[in-house]
Amino acid sequence: MTAALPLPIQLVWLIPVYGFSGVLLSLPWATGWVKRNGPRPAAYLNLLVTLLAFAHGSLVTLDIWQRGPQHLSINWFSVADLHLAIGFDLTLTNLAALELVTLLSLLAQFFALGYLDKEWSLARFYALVGFFEGALSGLVLSSNLFMSYFLLEMLTLSTYLLVGFWYAQPLVVTAARDAFLTKRVGDVLLLMGVVALSALAGSMEFTDLYSWAAQAQDPSQGTARLAPLVGSLIGLGLIAGPMGKCAQFPMHLWLDEAMEGPNPASILRNSVVVTSGALVLLKLMPLLRLSPMATTVLLVVGTISAIAGALVALAQVDLKRAFSYSTTSYLGLVFIAIALEQPALALLLLLSHGLAKALLFMSVGSVIATTNCQDLTELGGLGNRMPATTLAFLVAGAGLVGLVPLGCYWCFGLGVQAVGQAHPLFAVVILLTNLLTALNLTRVFRSVFLGAATPKTKRAPEVNWLMALPMVSLTVLVLVTPLLMARINPVPGISAFSLPVALAVAGSGLVGVGIGSLIRLDQFWSRSIQQPLRGLQDLLALDFYTEKIYRNTIVAFVAGLARFTNAIDRQVVNGVVNGIGRLSLQSAENLKLSVSGQLQSYVLTVVIAIVVLLSSLTWMVGEAVR
Amino acid sequence: MPVISADLTRQGGMPPAAELERRLLAGQTLLAETPGHVLEVVGVLESYGEVLDAYSRNLIYQAEHQFLNPFPIFKFLDGDLNPAKIWRHLNHDRINFEYAEYCMKAMLWHGTGGLDAYLDSQAFADLCAKIIEAKRRKDLLLGLLDPLFRQFLPELIRTAATTHALGQFWRVMSDLFIDLAAAERDGRVASIAQVVDFLKDGLVAAAAKPITYAVTIGLESFPVLPPEAGLTFLVDVAVPYVEAVFLRGMPFLGTVSFNAQAQQISPDQAQFAYGALFADPLPTMGAGIPPSLLMQDMYRHLPKSLHDWYLQCSRGEGDVRVKICASFQKAMFCVTNAAIAGTLPHPIGSGDPQAQAANQAYARAWATRLASARTDCLSAAS
Amino acid sequence: MMSSVLMAFPWLSLLLAIPFLGTFALLLWPGEPSPGRLRGITIGLLAAQLVASLALLLVFDPALGGMQLEELHSWVPSIGLNYQLGVDGLSLPLVLINAALTLVAAVCTRDFSKRPRIYFSMLLLISGAVNGAFLAENLLLFFLFYELELIPLWLLISIWGGNQRAYAATKFLIFTAVSGMLILGAFLGLALFTGTVDFSLTAITSERLAMGSQIVLLSALLVGFGIKLPLVPFHTWLPDAHTQASTPVSVLLAGVLLKLGTYGILRFGMGLFPEAWAQLAPGLAIWAAITVVYGSLAAIAQRDMKRMVAYSSVGHMGYVLLAGAAATPVALLGAEFQMVSHGLISALLFLLVGTVYRKTGTRDLDVLRGLLNPERGLPFTGTLMILGVMASAGMPGMVGFIAEFLVFRGSLLAYPIATLVCMVGSGLTAVYFLLLVNRAFFGRLAITPASDNPVDDARLDIQLAPVAPRETLPALALALGVLALGLFPALLGHWSEATTTAMAQFPALLAPITDGGLG
Repeated sequence: MTAALPLPIQLVWLIPVYGFSGVLLSLPWATGWVKRNGPRPAAYLNLLVTLLAFAHGSLVTLDIWQRGPQHLSINWFSVADLHLAIGFDLTLTNLAALELVTLLSLLAQFFALGYLDKEWSLARFYALVGFFEGALSGLVLSSNLFMSYFLLEMLTLSTYLLVGFWYAQPLVVTAARDAFLTKRVGDVLLLMGVVALSALAGSMEFTDLYSWAAQAQDPSQGTARLAPLVGSLIGLGLIAGPMGKCAQFPMHLWLDEAMEGPNPASILRNSVVVTSGALVLLKLMPLLRLSPMATTVLLVVGTISAIAGALVALAQVDLKRAFSYSTTSYLGLVFIAIALEQPALALLLLLSHGLAKALLFMSVGSVIATTNCQDLTELGGLGNRMPATTLAFLVAGAGLVGLVPLGCYWCFGLGVQAVGQAHPLFAVVILLTNLLTALNLTRVFRSVFLGAATPKTKRAPEVNWLMALPMVSLTVLVLVTPLLMARINPVPGISAFSLPVALAVAGSGLVGVGIGSLIRLDQFWSRSIQQPLRGLQDLLALDFYTEKIYRNTIVAFVAGLARFTNAIDRQVVNGVVNGIGRLSLQSAENLKLSVSGQLQSYVLTVVIAIVVLLSSLTWMVGEAVR
Repeated sequence: MPVISADLTRQGGMPPAAELERRLLAGQTLLAETPGHVLEVVGVLESYGEVLDAYSRNLIYQAEHQFLNPFPIFKFLDGDLNPAKIWRHLNHDRINFEYAEYCMKAMLWHGTGGLDAYLDSQAFADLCAKIIEAKRRKDLLLGLLDPLFRQFLPELIRTAATTHALGQFWRVMSDLFIDLAAAERDGRVASIAQVVDFLKDGLVAAAAKPITYAVTIGLESFPVLPPEAGLTFLVDVAVPYVEAVFLRGMPFLGTVSFNAQAQQISPDQAQFAYGALFADPLPTMGAGIPPSLLMQDMYRHLPKSLHDWYLQCSRGEGDVRVKICASFQKAMFCVTNAAIAGTLPHPIGSGDPQAQAANQAYARAWATRLASARTDCLSAAS
Repeated sequence: MMSSVLMAFPWLSLLLAIPFLGTFALLLWPGEPSPGRLRGITIGLLAAQLVASLALLLVFDPALGGMQLEELHSWVPSIGLNYQLGVDGLSLPLVLINAALTLVAAVCTRDFSKRPRIYFSMLLLISGAVNGAFLAENLLLFFLFYELELIPLWLLISIWGGNQRAYAATKFLIFTAVSGMLILGAFLGLALFTGTVDFSLTAITSERLAMGSQIVLLSALLVGFGIKLPLVPFHTWLPDAHTQASTPVSVLLAGVLLKLGTYGILRFGMGLFPEAWAQLAPGLAIWAAITVVYGSLAAIAQRDMKRMVAYSSVGHMGYVLLAGAAATPVALLGAEFQMVSHGLISALLFLLVGTVYRKTGTRDLDVLRGLLNPERGLPFTGTLMILGVMASAGMPGMVGFIAEFLVFRGSLLAYPIATLVCMVGSGLTAVYFLLLVNRAFFGRLAITPASDNPVDDARLDIQLAPVAPRETLPALALALGVLALGLFPALLGHWSEATTTAMAQFPALLAPITDGGLG
């Protein structure tokens, strides 16, 4: 670290600390130590530190803009050949992600002031969001794999605690459990990859790992070359963590259940958390060359997630779940982009999806707060009374769909252009996802905002300013996303695709909107009389029965194995011990010794037996001394 | 789909509907007659009265002075912007007015009774049109939004009207509860039966009180709930309030899943049973339990005698807010009891068989409804 | 000059003197001191012991890999038993953990109704004996201390234990007696075969022994210490002992006494038999993996919170054996971390389970619900419990993670399969502890016994006694320790790295590591 660096850059390590400090600042209220006064100061303090993080991040961004990327590293722990560091990679990409994280965190926290205004455990909520934000902002800046893993795992913990926020609600209990365990499976696999890389490559810095990976593949390196199997396994381990974090098939179930958590946390989860997982994958991208298999898996998983996620979303009656599956779907597209080595495309998609999805979830939160209802079949007619909410939904939808020239339109155009020639299949996947998403958004928009008011939406005043203000701000931000994208991606420019591609993207979006406008809503959820169609509806609505499949396979397997082990432990191992115990005590009994002498003689017998045993064994295996 | 089983939150000992009906018709109180109950009910109602006083003032202030204000940042300060008060507000050293808004929303959303019917009437729509016309001239944003979202402003005006009406209702209740405490100190009230009678008399006395509301835009006054609408205290506000807050309520995020696929929440609001008489006091102060705010407010205004009594049982100060909630539930049964007694179609002692039948039908309807409420708190043992 | 005076002071003897003299003082205290007074004296003595242990940090030179602050006095030279003490980076953290956890055990003692004088003197005696075992540089002296700790613990379980304490205590006694005999047999055998009568750790060596004899003796040591560790299938005494022992005894048993097993394996198994160790290491790695997975799976099936934590101990101690088998510098430091980490975390978990048991009267996960309830439940205990189980599951930011990471990182290249299996075990830890937290602490507060009609028997209006702030202090202190070492691992690594690196230096072990590759 040179002294010439300006103070904001030197102190960049403070940025994650701001978020974490929010936890400590909230403690007096979260622990009930402050008993007479309410918990709101904790919320204000967290907003303040988040604002600080955002401001600090902005200063650093300005500096980096001028002097180019910087790398800062602080030694954390060293032993023998293992050196673990706290490292920050200050590139514009990472800082843009940081600004996205802190800004959305700020907006979501502001939104929560309104959404959770009747919540007495507010301090705990803000403490958890602070923890969340600290881990996220450290993660996007991280320059080494160890720190990334460290913070990813912290995110898993904070997801568990945030989903479990309403801990007394029975579905929350199972949701928090599943969220943690699903992510944990991914994390353990990732840990295997991390440990293996640490042992094989030595350094954990991403740049060192890249050069190591290049060498390990180079045939001229001779013996140092990594066995293909090992490379494949490491690659699979590395993608497992982001797969869990980004809720990709087959580890997507948790995101659905995580919708039991408070909506402000859902805003963050569907935007920045999945984004951070994808960013880690993006940083790992050069390492995946070690493993063609991992790349194939990424493509397969991404494609399945994109299409199946969009299809499952179509069959959801729950407002939040209809869009959480769409998150799985979009992250599937990001996975495809990463597997096809289109990092710029992946980044742009993450940015525009993150902003638009956050806005969409704010709108959804407003609807829920006003109507106390998440059921699409019970909603309707909100469009003419909730201007901020309606506009937010429309703009967010437009930002997600390739139809009007907002964020995702340009992303899809670039994507189709980039992969269309070499991999036409994936261009089709992109267009199909666009179509299905447009269809889903249109049908939800019709159910919620159009039509006649229902009993639950009859009295629906617009939400209060604490929710409306961040929502409107974000609406504006989504509208100007293309300008941001143009600054981030000057070459080849965000409009670098041909007219046919542009028409194809817009056309797919239009078809989706068209179908979405024409389908009959009341029939959509009611079950069809035709058996095959009915089966399909159930299949999609219940997410391909994934939960059931898990319960009957992995969960049943582990539970069965646990019961088996326990039975062995009780019957066999302990049984043998008890048997021996009875036998030896009986033999001691036979010696007719007093109770106190029993133990002594027992011990003596054992000593003699052991000495004899050891000696005879030693002589049996040969001379004792060489 | 797992839900918290009703059996798990109740301790048994719930009287059947027939027993409740008998008590109502015999003029007996629902709540058992014990000295402890008198202390609890009167004490908790006194603190509730003080809290309602603040709620009521604030709701009326909001409806009159923050009308259609897009950024009502200081709406809880009642127009008093001195730094000390702002600091106390920031430090959350204040009444939780959010709970008052929550009750208002419950009333608005459930939409029953005369007030709600008036809000849907053509007369109200005409009044709204005048107000909006006046507002649009002054406010560019509203002028832009109104033509695009035709129901946006009327919905906010309905909200303001409900806010004001609830403020007026609570004004009366606050005074009544504080008077009750004074009466108990004077020795005029010494039993649960007398408490119920006192409340009944208060409600009956206020029954015909008109509910009106007007807003001032510029210098001009615009009626929102004009006297001609004929809205009165008991039928048009008190009864819908009891329906929305005591009986139906709204599901708590901390105990009920909103997941549409889990189908834990009835599509029919009339089937809701989340109100004050049905709620489980134990999770009070936990996450996602809005009445915690009210319990905290009452905790801060607890009369000393009741506080001392709480300190002697179970965890003392440690679980005082759960105990307040339990007492509050008992008190609300007394208020409901008084309201039922006050609205019986005919006097209890009436010898006319027709009157008896009408009374019986009325009492049966209530008893059926209350039979699934937390009546386990009514016995002398609890 | 100051430093030489400090160095010359018999620090290690002081660490033995405080608890042993304290034991006698307590036993001989005139009159009938009240239980509170006895507890006060014990806490004072243990605090002094903790201060003396911390003072070691001032005189200990972390740059040295070998024994320091050595003391040697002739005792019974004819049989090679000498009073020879020393401390290195392997034993120093364990001495500190011992002092800290015995203090915690004394502080969290709530039940003085039965023979408080014996109880507290036994606590002191255990602490002294454990210190002696960690500091002994003479095999026979170690054995004496190792056996000395056995009797007070047996008493603590059999007098102050639960309903089936007699069974559990006897089981414990027999297992540990066998363990002691095997260890003694191995020590005697080593002296016998090498023809020496010097049992000093510095003098005795197995180098001249034939490989077969080495393996037999090492196996005896492994089984002996494996019982203490405990390794599957010698573990069955542990869950029984824990479930019957009172909370402070469980804290000691899990936090301190199990470490005698791992310490013994590393110090004597690996230290005295490097060649045989290298031969057996692949088998040990497999044994470790089996123990980890077996312990974790058995824990999943438990319904008694204490049994679950006990089985989790079995799983977690397996990592130490894996690290020992790999014997790389990183792995051995990981072993040290794991010993400290398990000491702190399991002590924390037993404290919290003890609190739940004391307040609710049950530890049954089929019965407990919703203890996080802020007014009537045990919210603070619940919060610390979440922290504790997350630490145990290897969540970063807490000491369990860095310990596991070091173990895995150090062992992976030597024993890839066994290490990966152990990592799966680490994942399983999350499963059972999450079930514990979700069952007992989430949901609506209720105590619903598993009977034919749980609803009728349910205790719904729960009147649990509140947890006073001072009751939570020991757990809070341990939790802070878990966090501090997790965020700043150098606090521990600094003291142990030289020793563990030196331990990994013997040539016999280098071969399998470099040649093993990923095979």
